[in-house]
Order: sequence, then C-alpha cells, then structure tokens
Amino acid sequence: MKKIEAIIQPFKLDEVKEALQAIGIEGMTISEVRGHGRQKGHKEVYRGQEYTVDLLPKVKIELVVSDSRVDEVTRTIVQAARTGKIGDGKIFVVDVIEAIRIRNDDRGESVL
Amino acid sequence: MQSPPYPAPHPFAATSDVLTSLAERASLVDRLVSQAATELLFPTIPEGLALISVGGYGRRQLFPFSDVDLLLLCQNEDVPRAHKLEISAFLQRLWDSGLRVSQSVRVPDECLEVHEQNSELNISLLDQRFLAGDRPLFAALSKKFPRFVQSNRDALMRNLVRLTRERHSKYADTFYHLEPNVKETPGGLRDFQFIRWMEQLREADTNRLTSPEAPEDLRQAFRFLARLRSALHTQAGRDQNQLTFDAQDALADSGDVAAFMREYYRQARAVNRAAMRSLELWDAQSSALFAQFVGWRSRLSNSDFAVHRERVHLRAPQQLETDPELVLRLFEFVARHGLRLSSEAVNQLEPRLGRLREYFEEPRNLWPALNQILSQAHAPLAVRSMHETGVLFALFPGLEQIECQVVRDFYHRYTVDEHTLVAIQNACSAPGSYGELLQELPHKGLLLFALLFHDAGKAHSDPAAGYEGHVEASLQAADAAMRRIRMPAQDRETASFLIGNHLELSLAMRTRDLADPKAIHDVAQIVGTEARLKALTVLTYADISAVNPSVMTPWRSSQLWRLYLAVYRELTRELAAERIAESASGPGAELLEGLPVRYLRTHNEEEIAEHVALAVKSEARGVALDIRSLDSAWQLTVITGDRPGLFARMAGTLAGFGMNILRAEAFSNRRGQVLDTFVFADPTRTLELNPSEVDRLRTTAERVILGKLDVRELLRNRPKPKPPSRKVRVPTAIRFDGDASATATLVEIVAEDRPGLLYDLASAISSSGGNIEVVLIDTQAHRAIDVFYVTVGGRKLTAEERSAMGEELRKACGRA
Repeated sequence: MKKIEAIIQPFKLDEVKEALQAIGIEGMTISEVRGHGRQKGHKEVYRGQEYTVDLLPKVKIELVVSDSRVDEVTRTIVQAARTGKIGDGKIFVVDVIEAIRIRNDDRGESVL
Repeated sequence: MQSPPYPAPHPFAATSDVLTSLAERASLVDRLVSQAATELLFPTIPEGLALISVGGYGRRQLFPFSDVDLLLLCQNEDVPRAHKLEISAFLQRLWDSGLRVSQSVRVPDECLEVHEQNSELNISLLDQRFLAGDRPLFAALSKKFPRFVQSNRDALMRNLVRLTRERHSKYADTFYHLEPNVKETPGGLRDFQFIRWMEQLREADTNRLTSPEAPEDLRQAFRFLARLRSALHTQAGRDQNQLTFDAQDALADSGDVAAFMREYYRQARAVNRAAMRSLELWDAQSSALFAQFVGWRSRLSNSDFAVHRERVHLRAPQQLETDPELVLRLFEFVARHGLRLSSEAVNQLEPRLGRLREYFEEPRNLWPALNQILSQAHAPLAVRSMHETGVLFALFPGLEQIECQVVRDFYHRYTVDEHTLVAIQNACSAPGSYGELLQELPHKGLLLFALLFHDAGKAHSDPAAGYEGHVEASLQAADAAMRRIRMPAQDRETASFLIGNHLELSLAMRTRDLADPKAIHDVAQIVGTEARLKALTVLTYADISAVNPSVMTPWRSSQLWRLYLAVYRELTRELAAERIAESASGPGAELLEGLPVRYLRTHNEEEIAEHVALAVKSEARGVALDIRSLDSAWQLTVITGDRPGLFARMAGTLAGFGMNILRAEAFSNRRGQVLDTFVFADPTRTLELNPSEVDRLRTTAERVILGKLDVRELLRNRPKPKPPSRKVRVPTAIRFDGDASATATLVEIVAEDRPGLLYDLASAISSSGGNIEVVLIDTQAHRAIDVFYVTVGGRKLTAEERSAMGEELRKACGRA
C-alpha cells in the first residue's frame, strides 16, 4: 500500500476529485493548507498599504491505494491538476505499513 | 447488555398519552429499585439510608433509555463507608437488570448547599421523590429544602441561567437546526424544564416548593417533543436524542418529511420563545445597573411606541387595522434602537397578520420605509423579529416557501430561513476588512434586501439542477416583491444583480486561478463596478459563513479577500488610462467622452445623469456646482473648464471653510471639461446648523474657480487648527509609477492626514508644472491615501521632474 499526498492549486480540486472518481477512487482526505515551494510569495498593495503574501493557499489531498494503482492514480492527479505554470504543486508517495478499519478491526488492503 | 425493562415502546404516532407511558416506566423502575433495595440494602442498613429519585426520574418522566437518577441520601458519611459492599451489590443488580443508573451518594448537608461547580445537583433536587428506606431522614431534608431554595434563590437561578446560556450557545442560539437534538437544542425538552424550574425558584416560599402548571400550548409542545424523544430512544436502542435525517424519514407520519419538520420547528419555537422570555425576565430582575439603563431607555418612547423594561410596546395596537404601515415604523424603531418587542406586542400582531397581508398584497410604495429598517444599525434584529412574528411573510409571501425549509446536504446546518437570518446578521457583524467594506457601501439596505431573497428560490429548485439551480427562482421571487413595494428601477437592478450573482465569487474562488489575470478580468467583467464588487464581497462572506459556524475558515476568508483585492485593482487603478470612446447622445452627454473608463465603474446611472445635467448647467457661466449632504458627510461636485491648479484651489477652498476632505476624485474629458468631486466632513457642523453657509461656500467656490478670489486669501484669514496629537505617527511615503498608466505618471502619497493636506499636495504638484489628470483620494483613520495621475505637457514625467516634484511633495507633507 502507498499513501499519495498531493499538494495542488485550490481551483483544481473539483477537477482532480472528478478525475479520481472516474477511475474508481472514492475515499480521500482533503485539507486547506498554506505554504510555499519554489513559487515564493509576493507583495500586494491595497490602499497604500502593503501586504506580504508569503504563504500561498493550497489544497492537500491524501489517499491510500494498493501498490498496483499508484501509477494510474498519480498520473490522473498530474493530468487534472496541471496548468503548466509555477505553483501547480507536488505529489509525494510514501509506503504504508498497515491500514485498520476502526469499526471492525479489518486490516490490510481490504480496508481501502 | 440486556434491553431495559420498559412497557411496550410508545410509537410516535400512538394516540395514547406519552406522559402515561413515561410514568408507567418510572413506576416499573420504582418497583425494581425497591425490590433490589429490600433484598440487598435494608437487611443490613435498616436506618440512616433513603433512596430518592431525582431529575427526570423524580418527576416520573422516564424515557426508555434515559439515565435513572438515584440519590442515596445517607444520615452521615459513615453509612456509605461501612456498607460499601452492599451498596455496590445493589447498584450491580440494577445495572444487570438493564437500568443505566446514575447515582450520587450525599449527606443532607450536601443537599442544602449551593454547588457552583455542580449546579446540576442543586437543580435535580427540585424534582426529588421518595422511593424507599429511612423516611424520617427524607422528611427532614424535604422540610428544610424549600427554605434553602428560598434563601439561595438568586445563586440557584444565576447558575441555572448560566448552564442554559452555555447550552444554547453550544447550539449557536438557534432552534433551526437541520438535525436538532430534541432534548438539548434551544426549544427542546431541556428548555421546557428550564422554564418550569425558573418559575419554581421564583415562587419558592419557605414551606414548600410549588409545581407551577405550564400554559396549554407549552404542554402541547412538551408532549410532542416527548413523543419524539421516546420514539428516538426506541428506534436507536439507546439514549439517542438527535433527530437525524434517517430518524426524520422513519418518524414522519405520512411520509411528508418537510411537513413533519415544520411541525417540529413550530413546537420548538413555542418552547424557545417561552425560554427566552424567562431568561429576559431574569436579566430584568437581576441587575440594578440594568434597571437604571432600562429607565434611561424608556425615554426613547414616542407617540406610537412605549419602551418599558427594555421592550417595545404598541401604544394603540388597534391602530394597525386602520394604519397597517405602523408595523413598518414599529420595526424601524426596533432596528434603530436595538430593542426587542414585548410579548404583548407580539401577541397583538398575531391576530392582525391577515389584515396586514391583505394590505401589503396591493402594490404600494413601501421601499423607503423598508430601506429605513434595513439601513439601521440593528437591522438584523428587526428582520429576525419580523420573521418570528410572521410579519415578514405577511409582507413578502414569496418568502414563506423557505420557512423551516430543510436542505439536506453535508454542510448545511440550518433551515433556509434561518440561514438567511444568520447571513444578514453576519453581513452586519463582518469582522476586519469585510466590516470596513460594509461601511463603505452606499446602500446597506439593498445588500440586506438581496440577502433576504438570495435563497428564496430554494424551495422551487430542482436538486438535480445542482448548486446554482435556485438562483433563477430566487430572482423571480425578488422581482415580484420589488415591483410590489415599488422599488426604483435602479435599486431593483442592483438587488437583482446581487441575487443573480451571489454564487459568482465563491465559484471563482473554487474554480479559477486567482493569479491568472484573465480569470480576474472575467470576474471584473461580471461585477462591473467597484460598488457592486464591495457589496458582492460582503454578501459572499455573509452567505458562506451562514452555512455553518465553522465553514468560514481563515483560509477561505483570505482566499475571498485575495479575490476581492485582485478584482478591485482590475476595476480601478489599472483602468485609469482607458478612456470612454463614445457615449450616448443627448444634451450634455458629450461630458462622458474621454473620461477614464474608471468613471463608469465608480458611478451609478443616477449619479451620471446628475453629472450630465450639471454639465448642461455649466455651459451658461462656465461653472456649475452642487453641494449636498450625504448620510454622514457632505459632497461637492463641480464641472468647469480645466484651469491650472483648479483641483488645488478647490481643496483649498474647502480647507478654508474648515472642512475635512475624506475622498476626492478629479476627471477630465476630451473637451477639456473637468469633473471634480469632494466628499468632506464638517467637524463643527457649520453647514448643518447655518444653511446660509452652504450658499456662502457655493459662491466662494465659484469665485475661486473663476479666478475672482485668491484661495490663499481665504486660507490666510482662517485660524490654523492644531493638528491633533497622536501617539502613532504615519510615516510619509511617496511613490512614482510610470507603468501603471499608458499616458500619465502615477504618484501615490501615503501620509498622516491633517486639515489642508490635500490643498498643499495639489499645490505642490501644480507648482512643479504638473497637470492633475485623475485623482483618487481616500482616508483611513489618520492615514491619507492620495493617488494622482499627473502629466507634464501631456506626457509622463521625466526622472528629473519626478525628483523635483517628489521634493515639493515631501515639503508639503511636512508642513503642519
């Protein structure tokens, strides 16, 4: 099992969700996050006052899939989330040792 | 675990009285407890121990899976210590027979002291009932208890009120929850008991506790809620009090869930109203300071309304029949002073709703009165009381369809009408930057009106049509209402714009790249003007945060603000260079030709029409002036041919009259006409108190413009006002930008505001050879934000000209 963690542009969330649902991925966790990578923040001026916007709003999607689906899922996310511009985000894939369903103590890939 | 012993479950739809089944269950539990005690306790503890039922069990209202509240009253502390084993065997037996016992072991003294940390104990004892054991021990307690209650009445009531308020606030102080908890939510069973307890405490005398009888409508509501709770327990097989969507489906008698929930909200409203009255009565009685305040507020009384004990009373309710518009004045009074209606007034309105509805059905010119209500500081309170009394629906039958309407989805927490009321409240109490935007809106009333109708179409929308399905229906409902109340066409258009686009900003937030100029341009195209952008931003903030209390995360709030900023810039500054190419024909209409496009974005049609009329007027004498009072400030508009230093001279004239300039604009068109607008405060109320001064200002300004009077003369005669001393000094910042506009150099100056500053700045620009093309002046607290678009000889400034002008400007800022 692998956990896929994708940091994407907020406005791409709906598209990514739809694309994932289309390939049969139902479960995911979504959070509103802020941060920056190489796309640094910038300054904004409103009525003569400067605001530094150094942490940019992003959305984080987390999901766990069986090893065999990792390529398909990451490819789907990349396709749906890409605009080609700086700030499109990143995807991280990490190993998952165990999955447990709290309701009935099921374990392993059947939980996904 | 065994199932608890209770008589056949009480089906929700049963016709037998639910109170009877609750009492039957209490008797059954009585027998079980006595039996277990006779077997396991009393053989070894013949005296010094009494079993007492308290709480819901004590008053024989035991729900199928409720806790069984049992008080083990002990003569002294040795009793429980010496008989630990027997007591735990006794409790074990009760648990084994399926009862969820919640026991407490107390000596009499503990029952006769105020427990600040455990007020529930004090309250539960109000419903004490002897079960078994040492009767003289119980008799001694119940003899002393009324005196204890009477002498500690205030503390007990205060604690009970605190618990109740805490519970209400946990449920956002509303009973319009989509999945309400029939026990805890405002208007639930707990509130019914709260009303009873408060009454009991209030009437306590030294000899006995009274058990006041609730009025019939409350008892009816209680029976309804009790039937629900009973059925919920039976259905879930546990102490489950939340009326979930699933439970609603299962319990709705005829399968009509919407009707079933309406009935629930109707009953909960009755209980909630009574609970609020009880809370208010407590507030009124409990504070001496409050009493003084109340006395002061009663001075607000007038010939229509009396203010008594912080409540509004109708002096002549029968007048409503001949003069139905009195009801609008009533709510205007509420909105202005933030005072609630008295229960009498509410009751007097109720039988007259039919008459009001009939009267308001005819098209009538009601918008000015409604706008008055919606523009006041306490407008949200007024709208809420109009809703509660039913007046809102008499006025706008189109809104009736959303009353208690349930929208089932993941994130909505309230019924549609409650969502609407919360949104109106949120708009008026928006924090930080959003609150500032609201202050800047010219028509708060229109914004609130738009909010009132923004979801009016929810009842008709087909869920399959999705997210935006209801907008069209909302627009139709609003349009019918606006025509009936004879709202002017222009206001109608604004309100329709807000309703029709109330989802646009949140849609853009979710689906558009806010860093993409194209996306921002598209939103700017939809929004059109700065005023509309501001109104739509506040509306969006209010609407999103009224979905549920946690949905407006700081993340979302900053996304919305980011969108606002980007569109604001798109609509204003960068567009200063774009000019209006052609305009409609008609006398004076050529005024518009060559004005910056920004002009169209910052003025509405009415203002433009007035400017055009003013331009016609200016033709005779070369100048035309208009001075008028706005809500909290004055506005001077002037149209004349462009002259060097004109803007500076106007600013100087106003400073010479002691006026404080808040905002200003200057535009020039292709024909060399100049349109200058100044919004200014009159700190000494000279103009308001001396109407002749308005004329003198007009004549003086005209003479200054036509060069017949030197503005320096005017300023010399004026005593220099001392700049107020302030702890925080605003540092001066001057910035030149050659790229913002294609034809002019942008000069942005942020400086500490002071009287005459604008005159000094504009003079500095003129004296360094600059021509002011466009001016945007704003003040925020003590900060003046002045943006000038300046040319020299029709072109942008060179580097040398910039540094020379910068030097002059810095000197002007430093001059106090």
